[in-house]
Amino acid sequence: MARPSNHFQSTVGSKIVMALSGLGLVIYVIFHMLGNLQVFEGSHALNGYAAFLREMPILLWTARAGLLSIVVLHIMLAIQLTLRNRRARPVAYVVRQYRQASFSSRTMAASGLVLLLFIIFHLLHLTAGVIDSSSADRLDAEGHRDVYGKIIHAFQNPFIVALYLAGQLGLGLHLNHAVTSSLQTLGLEHAAFNRLFKAAGPTVALLVVLGNAAIILAIFLGIVRG
Amino acid sequence: MKFSLNIWRQKGPDEKGSFMTYEARDVSAGMSFLEMLDGVNQGLIAKGEEPVAFEQDCREGICGSCSLVINGIPHGPDRGITTCQLYMRRFPDGAAITIEPWRARAFPIIKDLVVDRRALDRVMQAGGYISVNTGGAVDGNVLLISKDQAETAMDAASCIGCGACVAACKNASAMLFVAAKVSHLALLPQGKPERTRRVKAMLGVMDREGFGSCGNQNECEAVCPKGISVRFIAALNREYLRAGVVELGLPAEPESPHAESA
Repeated sequence: MARPSNHFQSTVGSKIVMALSGLGLVIYVIFHMLGNLQVFEGSHALNGYAAFLREMPILLWTARAGLLSIVVLHIMLAIQLTLRNRRARPVAYVVRQYRQASFSSRTMAASGLVLLLFIIFHLLHLTAGVIDSSSADRLDAEGHRDVYGKIIHAFQNPFIVALYLAGQLGLGLHLNHAVTSSLQTLGLEHAAFNRLFKAAGPTVALLVVLGNAAIILAIFLGIVRG
Repeated sequence: MKFSLNIWRQKGPDEKGSFMTYEARDVSAGMSFLEMLDGVNQGLIAKGEEPVAFEQDCREGICGSCSLVINGIPHGPDRGITTCQLYMRRFPDGAAITIEPWRARAFPIIKDLVVDRRALDRVMQAGGYISVNTGGAVDGNVLLISKDQAETAMDAASCIGCGACVAACKNASAMLFVAAKVSHLALLPQGKPERTRRVKAMLGVMDREGFGSCGNQNECEAVCPKGISVRFIAALNREYLRAGVVELGLPAEPESPHAESA
């Protein structure tokens, strides 16, 4: 039996692994956004949801470990491929005109880096509570951890809001190209579905960014209060 | 018409190159881009200077020899043509035009605007043979191929191997070229018996030659003189995935009839 690992050492193989890991992260990002939208249902719903996730520590930590390994794999392959691509053209053109490459497709490395920095900040801020520990580990009336109070507190701060919106910009730019591109890398192409595949990236990017930005702005503008 | 040309000059593969400015005078609007360069070279020869080296052959857009990046776009500003089919009426009188060679590690510069594109030939060689019996010509309509399939295969086969896709790609990737060659044969019954090893061998050589990876930006499709669609790149990815699955059921070291190309 031929070893499948060899199959993934080529550039196309690496791209396929990047596409699969990326799509895995996209699915996570969608559910993360949908789960957080419960902030609009009030503290009971959101804190209950957070408690529900923490009720199953094995599942929670498996998911976290899985996400972390997918992210590491995705980033390592991205660095490997980017270095290879830089080497492929040692002398740059003096004049360069793009015909149809979208802005987001040309800034994947930059938007990916913005996203990585944002995710690190986000984890330190809301998950670990290192950046702002003032409201960490407080309990609500029902004895659940008060996640609702924590984010209401966080998004009163205009600097935090600006940082989170910048993170959403990076996310939107990355997803805009990423989803459509990964479908192409996985060889999904058919005359009947090509328009759907092409629209997938911008649609997913728009929905995720709109959902997340709605939470941030609703709290900042006082539509959702503590 | 007259133009100010900013041309990349490089004496040899290991020499340091630089841009030189030349004036193209008395250019008629009906001249092709290469005819305009011929005129400039005549002037240089008359002055006893070294003419600008560029590649050309058929001058009717079918051989894939001409290879110039004109103002940052391979084969110039028009779509679906090669440099030899580009006419000077396309440029405003007195315009400054920058001319560069294809730039890729896999395409080392031989001289001025001429690059060594044999890396593409080596990819083709790795593809190997197709199963066609020798002897008398096969009777017509023995192998039934549907119209759709024949047309799609022809779309892929129209690649002339000029390398504009590599030149246009941010990553200097040859994916569109390899995709066209692999898809064309994988679509037809004559190419199917060897499709599994063909896609692996061609992609293996593509990687070894130092081409970059595909970023799905579709710049290649936009500059391709034959308008080959990026859907063939998806088909190539599919073909590669298929090869991976098929290989799981094959012995570890299959007897390779292509040891010479490995």
